[in-house]
Amino acid sequence: MRFQDAARDGRAVVYAGIQADPLVARAAALLAEASHAQRVLARAVMNGEATDPAGWRTMFPTLFGEGGAGGASEDDRARSEAILAASLAVAERGEQVRSQFRGAIVEALTADLLARRVGAASVRRERRILFDGVRAEIHPYDVTVERDGAAEAHDCKWGARGINADVLHQLDDARTHAAEEDEHLTIGLVVFDAERSCRVRLDRQSAPNGSTAIIGLESLDALATGVPRP
Amino acid sequence: MTDDTSIAQAIGDALAAYDALTALGEEIEDEWGYVNDLAAAWRERLETVVASRGGEAMSAASAAALDRLIAEIEAIHDPHRAIDWLSTFPQVALIALGEAP
Repeated sequence: MRFQDAARDGRAVVYAGIQADPLVARAAALLAEASHAQRVLARAVMNGEATDPAGWRTMFPTLFGEGGAGGASEDDRARSEAILAASLAVAERGEQVRSQFRGAIVEALTADLLARRVGAASVRRERRILFDGVRAEIHPYDVTVERDGAAEAHDCKWGARGINADVLHQLDDARTHAAEEDEHLTIGLVVFDAERSCRVRLDRQSAPNGSTAIIGLESLDALATGVPRP
Repeated sequence: MTDDTSIAQAIGDALAAYDALTALGEEIEDEWGYVNDLAAAWRERLETVVASRGGEAMSAASAAALDRLIAEIEAIHDPHRAIDWLSTFPQVALIALGEAP
């Protein structure tokens, strides 16, 4: 089993520009430190119709209320404001571009959290995994952890609806091929959505997923503390 | 400060708006089954809050949050975005009510 940079086709070049946008790094850094409710705020705003910040503050009284319900501290309110501003900046970019930004942000957030556990040098983006005698997948894995004996491959989705047969097969195929080479490969699907929604989506899938760790909004922080388990 | 509305009434209003959102999401025929399973799962979660806290009065902040949240989903006309919000709406509503999604 070995890792390789993905081919730089036209789509990859355009997407690399999105990934390199400072807004992506800023949003990911804020979300890496965020609470669960703050991550839901980001999801709602980046999915939303409204671009009026006051309306979003009203929708999240526990994040923006001064010592009210939930009693947000000054630091928490400041982080919520920063997340709101970054999320609105994404939402204001138009439907197609915002979709690309959302995907890039989830990938950057995943890489950031994984790097806290394994170190940034072991975390790579947009990598293919090659196995002897197996034709390489066209689509690269979003985030990989490349360490001898403890490799990981993660795909990232903005919403539970992104869970589909293709991504489940690709992840499980990689795990299976690794096992055929006596290598262990942890596979995960990071979804910036509620685990309840992920379960509903998974229940409708016949593709293999019993060995895939599903990391939803509620458990994102676990990426930084331990190897994800199915 | 509290609102005159009970949590049961507020969630009832939220679920009525959620039903309209579900109908919009159903326009994506390939996702009809997922849309309905998703809506059923979240409806069940919200109904557990009615069962446990339905008689409580809403705080003014929570009432305003749910009113604004309902207005947000009523502004959605794209069925794909509606599907995204079938998951997002209940999460935001539950947080506004002080519940874990």
